[in-house]
Amino acid sequence: MRWLPSFLSVSLLAAGSLAARKSSEERFKTYHAKSLSSTPVKLGDSTYRELTSTPRDYTVAVLLTAMDPRFGCQMCRDFGPEWDLLSRSWVNGDKAGESRIVFGTLDFADGRDIFMSLGLQTAPVLFLYPPTVGPHAAASPDPIRYDFTSGAQQAEQVHSWVARHLPDRPHPPVKRPINWVKWISTFVILSGGLTASYVAWPYILPIIQSRTVWAAVTLISILLFTSGHMFNHIRNVPYVAGDGKGGIRYFANGFQNQYGLETQIVAAMYGILALSGISLAIKVPRISDPKAQGVAVFVWAAILFVMYSFLISIFRGKNAGYPFALPPFM
Amino acid sequence: MSADPLHALASAGKAKSTRSVLRVVILALIAGAAIASRLFSVIRFESIIHEFDPWFNFRATKYLVAHGFYKFWDWFDDRTWHPLGRVTGGTLYPGLMVTSGVIYHALRALTIPVDIRNICVLLAPGFSGLTAIAAYLLTNEMTTSNSAGLLAAAFMGIAPGYISRSVAGSYDNEAIAIFLLVFTFYLWIKALKQGSMLWGALCALFYGYMVASWGGYAFITCLLPLHAFVLICMGRYSTRLYVSYTTWYALGTLASMQIPFVGFLPVKTSEHMPALGIFGFLQLLAFLDYVRSAIPSRQFQTFLWVFAGGSFGLGLAALAIATSAGFIAPWSGRFYSLWDTGYAKIHIPIIASVSEHQPTAWPAFFFDLNMLIWLFPVGVYLCFQELADQHVFIVVYALFGSYFAGVMVRLMLTLTPVVCVAAAIAVSTLLDIYLTAKSPKPVEGQPADGGDGAAKKAVKSGLKSTSKPLIGVYGLYSKVAIVGALTVYLLLFVLHCTWVTSNAYSSPSVVLASRLPDGSQHIIDDYREAYQWLRQNTREDAKIMSWWDYGYQIGGMADRPTLVDNNTWNNTHIATVGKAMSSREEVSYPIMRQHEVDYVLVVFGGLLGYSGDDINKFLWMVRIAEGIWPDEVSERAFFTPRGEYRVDGDATETMKNSLMYKMSYYNYNKLFPPGQAMDRMRGVRLPEVGPSLSTIEEAFTSENWIIRIYKVKDLDNLGRDHASAAAFDRGHKKKKATKKRGPRLLRVD
Repeated sequence: MRWLPSFLSVSLLAAGSLAARKSSEERFKTYHAKSLSSTPVKLGDSTYRELTSTPRDYTVAVLLTAMDPRFGCQMCRDFGPEWDLLSRSWVNGDKAGESRIVFGTLDFADGRDIFMSLGLQTAPVLFLYPPTVGPHAAASPDPIRYDFTSGAQQAEQVHSWVARHLPDRPHPPVKRPINWVKWISTFVILSGGLTASYVAWPYILPIIQSRTVWAAVTLISILLFTSGHMFNHIRNVPYVAGDGKGGIRYFANGFQNQYGLETQIVAAMYGILALSGISLAIKVPRISDPKAQGVAVFVWAAILFVMYSFLISIFRGKNAGYPFALPPFM
Repeated sequence: MSADPLHALASAGKAKSTRSVLRVVILALIAGAAIASRLFSVIRFESIIHEFDPWFNFRATKYLVAHGFYKFWDWFDDRTWHPLGRVTGGTLYPGLMVTSGVIYHALRALTIPVDIRNICVLLAPGFSGLTAIAAYLLTNEMTTSNSAGLLAAAFMGIAPGYISRSVAGSYDNEAIAIFLLVFTFYLWIKALKQGSMLWGALCALFYGYMVASWGGYAFITCLLPLHAFVLICMGRYSTRLYVSYTTWYALGTLASMQIPFVGFLPVKTSEHMPALGIFGFLQLLAFLDYVRSAIPSRQFQTFLWVFAGGSFGLGLAALAIATSAGFIAPWSGRFYSLWDTGYAKIHIPIIASVSEHQPTAWPAFFFDLNMLIWLFPVGVYLCFQELADQHVFIVVYALFGSYFAGVMVRLMLTLTPVVCVAAAIAVSTLLDIYLTAKSPKPVEGQPADGGDGAAKKAVKSGLKSTSKPLIGVYGLYSKVAIVGALTVYLLLFVLHCTWVTSNAYSSPSVVLASRLPDGSQHIIDDYREAYQWLRQNTREDAKIMSWWDYGYQIGGMADRPTLVDNNTWNNTHIATVGKAMSSREEVSYPIMRQHEVDYVLVVFGGLLGYSGDDINKFLWMVRIAEGIWPDEVSERAFFTPRGEYRVDGDATETMKNSLMYKMSYYNYNKLFPPGQAMDRMRGVRLPEVGPSLSTIEEAFTSENWIIRIYKVKDLDNLGRDHASAAAFDRGHKKKKATKKRGPRLLRVD
């Protein structure tokens, strides 16, 4: 059976050359039929070359990706389902192939040579090969490249990009399938929660009506917001950063930067300061024993003073020109 | 220790009339301090209007004073947004200009000859004095402590969070809006406490004034219904609430609809729907309340409350359906981006590009509020002790104010009043407890029993921590320690505020100050130099193209028509300018000709190391242009393959050929010895051969090269295109240079 591989390769070559000689119309028919059964069409080295060979009177949109976990391409995995969704809803909306577009996917594992010949270093890359003949022929047969500059995109954004390059042709919209699991689980959780709260109402009511609980919730959210939590949320700042010497840096340099841990430290400091303020204002004057009260006053006052001094010293680290300080941390 | 003079002082303080005189004197002094601390910029520089937006407000005020109110109301401005123009009278908040106009005419009537510019410059400090008094009134509604109001007034007067937008010369809507905000809240609390229609009507009146002054009125429009809603949920519906809310809503909405810019928005947009919804819900509750008092059956009451809850849910559903069907406009982008924080960056880059719309990092909070930031939670906690209707207001305001301030730097302004009030409550509580001559006698016996009994009753309604009875502070040392520490903190606060105001918030940004090596101050006055040049050397209707940041200043100082300005109402027009700036000359030139541009103005900070220049803002121009013409402008092309934004020799071709790059660095290398040209802002060495220009020519460059103005060339006399004409002038003779002859034609790429 030694001749089998060579025979196979010869026959494949022959088939490839045969296919290459197919007319543009035939090629589109073949691949459109393929895409009707499963889209995007999974391409390999030879099929990629065949599909994108000139002259062609149809458009090809190919995603060159690397799904294998070995490559650690997070964006490929994020964008993969969106790409599938886009091509599926396009093909379903245009079964007759009036828009004359074929969606394909080429994985790095199947098309190493294509990646090499195109000189691609990164993935994913989305190419749109415009038609070279026919009514919509473009001036240049070279593919148009889609920029993944701002991370993995939604199917709708890519859809509008594709649609822009296919004027005067139908653009079937992206149809997101109804996420049944999500709906059912929401319904189950919701009804379960309602039942549970109905049963446990006598126990929940005191918590809802407890002023202490509300006060705690309010204070915690105020502390979160005033310590820059929303900044972390919007800017996606790192939690901590290294200092380049193997250690950890807790506080970012500069007035407009911060780390996740840093804001938590600041929130904790604000919390301690506020707690000592509350204790001095509410708890201390309610202590009936004079000695215990005296000790409490001095302990809370000392905590407040040291904490405030520390806070100012940290702020001075962020804002170099700040001239004020309090004793322990000068 | 109670010496006679101390007694005398204490008894003098007790007399009621002495106290009120003292209070008035202190309030007047606080207002004076609030005004004085805002005058740094006038003393250091001169009486000048600051920044960008104030220049438009100033120009509009001059128009109002010169032409009268009705002309102002119908003002169509053909000197901005060329060639579109702007219906200025219908697209601005007139409150600020009308206020200055009224002051101007009042002073004229008193035969005090005062320049309108000085009124505009000093309006913000003057109103900050009033804000301090309004904060005093609002705080006095919250607590019985005598000192709280005065402390709140003092905090409000000097807190940098408010000073940042109200120094002398900062003639912006916020200058009067914060006073109106605080005062409207005061009137609302007053109306709610008394259930009075009069106070409710006054509240509506000031709400109307607020709507006429600032787009931030939506904050009130959402906060008051929210307060009412929280009160209803707490089971605190009362006729007081009904009367005050209904009066405020009905009159306030009518008042707000008188402003052309607002018009029918209060019944059409989502921002205003909470107010309308709560209005309807209150009517329903009032009806149910009436029915309930007539039929005292318990089951029927349950049915009523279920009915109320159900109709509330139905109302919400109807609102959602009406919004999706398009009867009610959804949340406008600016408001929506407050909730969905990623929205603006994707869909409205023009909003995301403004620096004051960025989220707030924690140092900014501390910088603007100093110790108030940790006294704030203490004050909010103290509000939970009594938790009357007005305290609920503080809690709700505190929560939402701090959320908004965290999302947008600019909204620190709306947070500051509640921080000042809450912190004043905290400090005054501390002072009331520790700064008193009275000390309790230590009780022997067993007070725990009575305490426990009281505790069980108190736990149900109050906080756990206040279950024991208040005793007081025994030791003198404890008192001295706390009062001493508080004094230190308060003094530090004053020092901090003064330092921040003088260092960070008192720069007009039209005039820049720097220090020479010997420590003396050096004024950099390039902006005014350039605008003066425009005013004196160009035709009166010469159109100036610049990035939109400088539109108001060009209109105000140079008095020349502009293409785009800071009123960013037409995104496409701004994108057109962005495209002209970020494209090749051959593309830009037709755009400029089509818009009749005579001069192009760019801001360049490379020589001086000035960070606010156009090269640093350039990516936003590209982004905004890309939003409209994604095929012609691509942000990717301005980054090197390694993803860097560079301006030196390694910059991308697109970058080097863009009009903005060429205008910024044209002839710049001639300042330096060959090959040594440095961009001091970005700290990079520039290529030896600088860019060349063919369709525009340098007309003016200011002393420190901050402003560069270029004249757009007319079509070539010989019908050549500009590139070959310029090449011919430089001495590169081309073979086919003279071949083309024909009518002068505008090339459109």
